[in-house]
Parts: sequence; structure tokens; C-alpha cells
Amino acid sequence: MSSAKMIQPDLEFVKEITAQGGGESLKKCFQCATCSVVCNLTHSDKPFPRKEMLWAQWGLKDRLMGDPDVWLCHQCSDCTAYCPRGAKPGEVLGAVRRMSIKANSWPGFLGGLVGSPAGLLPLFLLPVFIFGAIIMGLGRLDHLHGPIVYEKLMPIPAVDTVFILTALFACLSFFLGVTKLWKAMSDSTGRAGAQGSVVPAIIETIKEIIAHKRFDKCDVAKGRASAHKFVFWGFAGLAVVTTVAIIYLYGFHWESPYDMKNPVKWLAFVSMLSLLYGIFSVIANRNANAGKAGKGGYFDWLFIYIIVGVALTGTLSWGIRLLDIAPLAYTIYFFHLVFIFCLFAYAPFSKMAHMVYRTTAMVFARHTGFDK
Amino acid sequence: MEKKIGVYICEGCGIGSSLDIEKLKGVATKEFKVPVVKTHAAFCGAEGVEVIKGDMQAEGVNTVVVAACSHRQFHDVFNFGADNICERVNLREQVIWSHGGEGEGVDEDTQMLAADYMRMGIVKVQKTALPTPYEPEAFVRNIMVIGGGLSGMTAALEVAETGYDVTIVERSGELGGYAKKLRKQLPMASPFTTLEDPTIQGLVNKVSSHARIKVKTGVEIARISGAPGQFRVSFKTPGTKSEWDVPPKVKEGEEATVACPTPAPDAEPAADQVSCSDILTIDPNAEIFGAIVVAAGWRPYEPKEGEFDHLGFGKFKNVVTNVQFEEMAAKGKIGAKSVAFIQSPGANEDDSDFPYCSSVTSMVSLKQAQYVTQDNSDGKAYVIYSHMRTPGLYENFYKAQQNNPGVFLTKGAVTGVSESGGGLVVDVENTILGEPVRIPVDMVVLSTGMVPATQFEPIINLAYRQGPEFKDLELFGGYCDSNFICFPYETRRTGVYAAGCVRQTMTMAECVEDATGAALKAIQCLESTNRGQAVHPRSGDTSYPDFYFQRCTQCKRCTEECPFGALDDDERGTPKPNIARCRRCGTCMGACPERIISFKNYNIDMIGSMIKSIEVPEEDEGKYRIICLVCENDAYPAIDMAGVKKLKYSADIRFIQVRCLGSVNMVWVADAFSSGFDGVLIIGCKYGDDYQCHFAKGSELASRRMDNVGETLKRLALEKERVKQIQLSIDEYDKIPDEIGKFMEVMESVGFNPMKGF
Repeated sequence: MSSAKMIQPDLEFVKEITAQGGGESLKKCFQCATCSVVCNLTHSDKPFPRKEMLWAQWGLKDRLMGDPDVWLCHQCSDCTAYCPRGAKPGEVLGAVRRMSIKANSWPGFLGGLVGSPAGLLPLFLLPVFIFGAIIMGLGRLDHLHGPIVYEKLMPIPAVDTVFILTALFACLSFFLGVTKLWKAMSDSTGRAGAQGSVVPAIIETIKEIIAHKRFDKCDVAKGRASAHKFVFWGFAGLAVVTTVAIIYLYGFHWESPYDMKNPVKWLAFVSMLSLLYGIFSVIANRNANAGKAGKGGYFDWLFIYIIVGVALTGTLSWGIRLLDIAPLAYTIYFFHLVFIFCLFAYAPFSKMAHMVYRTTAMVFARHTGFDK
Repeated sequence: MEKKIGVYICEGCGIGSSLDIEKLKGVATKEFKVPVVKTHAAFCGAEGVEVIKGDMQAEGVNTVVVAACSHRQFHDVFNFGADNICERVNLREQVIWSHGGEGEGVDEDTQMLAADYMRMGIVKVQKTALPTPYEPEAFVRNIMVIGGGLSGMTAALEVAETGYDVTIVERSGELGGYAKKLRKQLPMASPFTTLEDPTIQGLVNKVSSHARIKVKTGVEIARISGAPGQFRVSFKTPGTKSEWDVPPKVKEGEEATVACPTPAPDAEPAADQVSCSDILTIDPNAEIFGAIVVAAGWRPYEPKEGEFDHLGFGKFKNVVTNVQFEEMAAKGKIGAKSVAFIQSPGANEDDSDFPYCSSVTSMVSLKQAQYVTQDNSDGKAYVIYSHMRTPGLYENFYKAQQNNPGVFLTKGAVTGVSESGGGLVVDVENTILGEPVRIPVDMVVLSTGMVPATQFEPIINLAYRQGPEFKDLELFGGYCDSNFICFPYETRRTGVYAAGCVRQTMTMAECVEDATGAALKAIQCLESTNRGQAVHPRSGDTSYPDFYFQRCTQCKRCTEECPFGALDDDERGTPKPNIARCRRCGTCMGACPERIISFKNYNIDMIGSMIKSIEVPEEDEGKYRIICLVCENDAYPAIDMAGVKKLKYSADIRFIQVRCLGSVNMVWVADAFSSGFDGVLIIGCKYGDDYQCHFAKGSELASRRMDNVGETLKRLALEKERVKQIQLSIDEYDKIPDEIGKFMEVMESVGFNPMKGF
């Protein structure tokens, strides 16, 4: 019996999964494997999500934290829709990913804070204080006469300083998290010794992500993939706009707002619409499919509402400026900055982290041949 | 009674167009000189029935032969009261629907078949007398319930509430049984999700204060003699010897009345040696009861020395049985923070659960797992099973217990329990985790089974010739029952009904339902015996066996073979029938070599005459004649069903319904061959371990007798293939044409009966 492993269920882990939104149904699973059969994304060797359900029931935290399958799942919810016991494997895996984000986060306390409703207020107040202090410290409220130009409220160097620091922090946090996840996956799959460069795997993975190849295989919640595409392309477009704006500003000293004939303006406009349409489709899909696919928990909805906040305040900042209602425009712009801060600073701890960790798992699977 | 026979031939349902009705009428009028013979388009209609009733009034017809559909149809329409005889000739299901082409006119073989059935029907009524119900000499209406647990008390309460006096006999000092020793009980009502606080005390209070219920605690039964309506019960203090203890069954060849084992002359008589009285001696102080409910319950399985060594039972202090664990839980908090519940002891070799396990022990494990997590916030309970049984709505219970984060369920084979660092380690293989695992725990609970009390002792201690205990319990693993699918509560001892865990392991909710059923059966028995009627399965039958003892040779086959132990011996060794114990199957009649046992409306002469009434064609006509004796319980309905389904089979075969194959006397077979029949078939219920015989033993006894008759035939130079028994269950109607076809092939190969025409 020396080959047998000693099993020590982590009861707290089980309770944490079942306590919060998404994972309540975990214990209902009776291992019929319907989930693994209906899943269009799983590989045939040791398919998911059946084994993940069992590990989660048994509180085998270490196995789940090093399991690439947890991240290869795109939560199509086919499994949830077909589960005869209402165990909602898709939702449970979502909850496990929440636990994975928390476990890989640095600094750890932020992981806990973002994951819990109690952390909402302090996390939101932090950027309010930062930007409030800058405005007050520089006495910018006195400069708001004349046409609406948002730089009057918040000087560009100050914005850039805050966001560059925020981005650096997020990158560092992600780097540590990805390193930890990669090691856990290597240890647990025994595929640490993969040879060769990881670059081809990264390139292939990015191509796959851009095309949404996996997400498109989902059946039950088909709308999710297209909604996700709109959000994804919206953010991508806005990233291009931001990059161009930086080049304009520091390369050519062209300042915003740009002329309506400028193609960058058009790109920004289209991206904005895409993001708005996408995120509201996400909400509509989730509500429409709640019966079949589950409604998700706090963690999911926090992320959704941050994006809603970013998109709505961004759109309104532009619209109200054109309507020339100065006090309202400046107020909305202030909150736009707050939401963007939330999006970036908390990215490694919120559901935004899926962007990095799922990519990591996909690269790992491709690189090590785990996915074959 | 002076019989005036009326024959009524129905022309409905295609009978009129498939048969030559005038010719058929001729059978009655010419061959049997029947005074009244009529036809009608539909005798089952109001007008048709009026024709018969009119004849009964105007012409004085009191013996009616209705030649129409099967007697299983319209039995209420053709019921002319207990003062008249009514016989049905089955022209529809067994003649026109199963022979000849539909609407193709009259077929010669089918017409011959109908004529033979007509002859048999008329002969049968000629040989029938109206039965007079047996009147018991003495009769009481109270009921005794053995066992004061949940089932016993529920049965007693149901009996009392229905208006009968009842006495509960409980061996221990108080009522309540095992239900009183629980911390929590399994859910008793829908939705069956949550554990309940024990409710047994409420029932104890209700029973103790009920005016119709008498409670005897601290006593057990020394013997029960008599019969339903008049059971004489002798009580004694548990564990003591009594003069009224029942002597063991008399073995073959021993003197029947010398029943008490006498100690060897040179042996020192034991201090508590009391010589017991033989079974015929009447205890003058016995209490008298009309019927009995046995609710003796179960006892925890006691593992044999070293039986579960590999699981550490008896080796490690913290390996206990589920019963021991429940005791601990009822006393107080469970200290163990992690507990493994093991359902199957067979390691990798055998996936059976512990002996006497069931859905109840599965659910008890789920229940006890909750104790662990309730008593410790960080408690973990592992349930390792080969089978997890939560039938019916108890699935809700499984779901609810499974939802507890601290309960870990896995299918798996436990290969060993060992000690390690003050704790225990459970080794499990073939888990759903896909790999062998080792689980460290503080305690191991073995889900050992619930053994029926009847496995250990007779409980009822009957002073019957066939012995003090229930028969053939080994077929049911000791559970006190005669057929757990078709006839719940019925035992092989008439008037004694079983309820609760003594007859099948069941949950408390199921016990309540079961006890109610058994209580009703006991009442039904009283109310039938009272009127001289049989109980199940020939409920309401007022005929009973009559013995012509002058010709009895005391061979005791009837006493031995009666499935219900209805016969004892009298002082001279002659069989002594107890009619109230009799179920009217006729097994005694089939057994008797002297043919001295008969029923008023069912006897050797009647069936023999019916066989002889059939016209057997000469050999040169090229037609075989087969007599087929068919059990009324399953085989006859199956043959009717074959007719309903219009399945066709040979018209050379003649069916005669019998009460049970056990009642088939081999003289009928001899009669058939001497009358020129070419073969004899008997069709009845399946026998063996999974018997379906409604009288438990009838079809099995018939098969033994058929073996013997086969040898006799050989001596007469007749092929033994000419007789055959077929086992058929009620749903196997589709096999009938094939089985008959096979037998006809045998006939073709052995040829005609050479004794034809002698």
C-alpha cells in the first residue's frame, strides 16, 4: 500500500467554495460523469470537470490549485445545463478559479479583500482618496472655467504617474502569480521538464484567444462567446486608442480632444460601442441563462460591474462634455478614473485575472502537451 | 340437494359463428339429458342474465352451466348465490380465440374441443356438492402481538383502534424496542430530508393508556397451540424452563407422542431441568387469542471471532459497529473528529455489504455521519461503500446528507484498517478518486447488519406436528415470511402474520406501514375464520378437506406435506386436521395414496370423472389427446391471456383447472392413460429457491410426485416423456404455444398411447 497517498481533505476549502456564490451546489455531485461527456472543451484523457468536482468535494486543494483543467474550462455551462443533480459543475469550477486567483495573488491580503463583499467599500474608496488628494493638493477645482477640458481637473502627468505605477504593480503581482501557478501545474502534472522554447506555444495560444476558438465550441450559452468577443474587441480597440494617444501626446504634442474627422476618434467610438454592447449582453445572457447555467456569485458580478462602470462613465464623459454641462461632466470623469483604477489595480485579484491565468494554463497545456 | 341442471350457451364474442351451436347443444341434451339448454347472443347482458334467472325461478334450475367466456370474467354477473351451483365452460379464451381461423367457419378440431369442455363442465356440476362452512368450536376475537417495539406497538394500536382487544407481549422490561435507543431517527414523512428527534415515547404513552391494549412485559412465549380463533398461548419468564416449552419436532420413525427429550438415566439431572409436555397436552392456564402478529424485530449482527480482523474489529478500541456507535451518540458528544463508515467488508474480492445489510444500514451511516459533523465543527465523516441504497423518496435523504461539507462519500473497497501514531488509517482501493488512498481517522464504524429475530429462535414456539418454528426460513435468510413479493405479512402458519424487521429490514417509516398491513391481515383472518372461510389466497372459500379416516393407513404424508402445518397427530397417531389452519390448497388430497381426502366441490372422483368424460378418438383418426392439469393461480390466467392475445396452439389438448399442483393426485395421471390419453401435462408456478407457488410448496411437491409417476409409467412400458411439468409465471403467456408445441413434438416421436381402446 506504499503507493497509496494519504488523503487529508481541507474542510475549510470545501466550506469556502460552498459558502460563496457559485459553489453552493458542489456537494450535490454524485459522479455520474455527464458533465465530462457533454463538455466540448475537455480532452479525452482524464477529462474535466468530473474529477475537479470530486476533488473539490473532498477538499483536495493542492490538486485543484495545480490543475490546468480548472483554467482550460471556459464555463460554457453545458455541464451545468445537463447535470442531472443540479450540481452546476460550471459554476463550481468558477468558484474554484476564484480560489485559484486568491491562492496565487500577491500580496495575499488583497486577494481576500477583492473576493469578499466586506472589501468593496475600502477598495472603492482607495482611488477616490488618491485622485481626490491630487485634485485638492493641486487646487484644480479653481481651474474649471471655460470649455470642458478634462486636463483642467486632472493634469495628464498626474494621471500617467498614477496609472503607470498601478500598471507596474499589477504586472509584478501577475508575474509572481503566474510563476506560482506554473510551478503548481508542473508539480502536479509532473510535466515540469518540457523542453524547448515556450514562445511558439504563446503565439499559438494568443491566436487561439483572438479567434475565440475554444469559446465558440460552447453549446448551451452560445451567446456568451459572442458577448465576450464584443467586450474583448472593445478593450483591444481602446488599448490601441490609448497607445496612439500616448504617441500623439509625447511624440507630436497633439492634445485631446481630437477632431471628429480623426480616425482615432472613430476607433474610440466604435470600441466604446462594442464594449457597451458586449458587457450588457454579458449581463443579459447571464440573466437569461441563470436557470440552466447558474447566475454566478459576487466575484463574477463585481468584475462585470467594474467594466460597466468603466464603459458607462467613459461614454458619459464624452457625451456630457459635448452637451457642455461642466459640473456633471467633471464628476463623471472623476469616477471614470476611479473605475479604471479599480480595473487595473485589482486585475490580479479580481476576475480580470482570468485573462492572465487562463492564458498561462493554455500556454502550459500547449507547451507540455498536457492538452493532447 | 336435488340438482336441476341448466346449460346456457352464449353466442357472443364470435362463439356463435365459430362453433356449430346446435351440435354443441346436442352434447348436453343427447349425451347428458340436460332438461334446460338455451342459447343467447350475450348471456352477460341484463337480458341474458334474466333468461337464466327466469329459468331458476320458473323451471327450478339450481345448477347452472354457462358456456361462454372464462370464469375469470363476469364472476359477479354469473353469481347466483351460495345456494346454487354455477360452473363456467370456457368456450371463448380457451376454445375459439386460441384455435381455428377467425371467421373461417367451423373447424372440426375446435368443435371437438368445445364439446369436450361441455362434457367436463356438466360432469363437474354433477359431481359438485354445495360446501357448508366449517364452524369453529370456540372462537375469540382478540389479537396477540409479539414484540413491543415500533412495529409491535403500531400493529397493536391499529388493531385496537379498529375495535379489537389486543395484548402486546414484550420480552424485555419495557416497551419501545430499539427505537428508544436512538439519538436521532431517520425521517418519517415527506420530504424525508432531515433527521428527527425520537418519537417513540409518544407511541409508548398512547399504547400504555389505550383501553383496548394490554401490555405484558418481561414475559416470553413457551408455546402456542390451537388454530386461528383459538390459539392457546402459554407464557413464561424469559430464560427459564417451563413445563409448557415445546418439544422439538418428532423425527421420522420416532414415536409421535413421546416428544420430550428425557435425560440419559446416568446423567445428573440439571438443576433447572423441567420435563416438558407433549404437543397434544392442553395447558389449562393458557391465554386464548384469535390471531397473532409477530413483530419480534431484529438483533445486531454479532461478528464472529476474527471475522473482520482485517478491519481491526476486536483489535483496535476505536473500531466499533454501527449499533455501538449509536449507543455512544445517544449518550453524548462524539469525540472523534474524523470517522470512517465502512459498508462492505470484502476488500477487493467481494463487493457484498456486511451480512444482513440493506438500505437501512446505508441510511444509518448517512445519519451517523451527521452526528460527527454536528458534534465537531471541523468533523469529517467518510462513508465508503460498495452500494449506497436510498430507495424511493429516501433519495431526498441521501441528497440532504450529501450536501453536508463534512461528509465525504466514495465507492471503494476497504482493504485494511491499521493503527498509526495513535490514530487509525483506512486503506481504500478502487475509489472514485481513481487511485488507492489512505485515510487517517480517529474512529472506524462497521455498518453491520440487522438480523431477524427468527434467525436465532422460533419465537412462536408452536406446538405443531411440523415443529415449533416457521418453515424454510433459510430461503429468506431467516426472515419470517412466505413470499416477500406477492403476499407480504403472510407466513407459512395460518393466523400468524409478520410485521417489521422480522420479515424484512426496513426503516421506521416503513415499519409503521408494515405493521398496519399486518394488523389488517390478522383482523381479516379472524373475520374469515369466524365464518368458516379460508384466508389468502383462497379467501372466502367455504369448502374444506374431509377425511374418511376408516381407510387411513397413518402414512402421515398429509401431515408432513401440508405447507401450512394444518395437521397434527392424535393420540393414536392418526392425522388430526385443524381446519382453521387450512388454506384449502388440496395438497393433502394430492398426497393421499388412499384417496380418502376430498372437498365437497373438489375431489378425486370429480376430476377423474371429468377426464373420463372426454371423448378420445380412435388411433386411426390420427388425433392425439393430451390432458393438462393447470394451476388456478398463475397458469390458468396465463392461458386465458394467451387466448386474449389470440395465440394459437394445438386443439388436441384439454385443460382442467386445479387449485394447486400440490392437489394433483397421481391417480388422475393413471386414469388418463388408462382412458387412452397420449400424454399428461401439468402447468403450475415456479418452484425452488425463488418459488412463486401461492401455497409455497405445491408445485415442488408435484414435481417430486411426477418423478415417481415417471418410474411407474416405465414399468407399464409407457414412455416417461408422456408426462411433463411446466413451470410458468403469470406473465409468460407468450410461452404457451411454444411449450405446447414442444410437447406435441414429443407426442409425434413417441406415438399414440398403446393402451388406447383397452
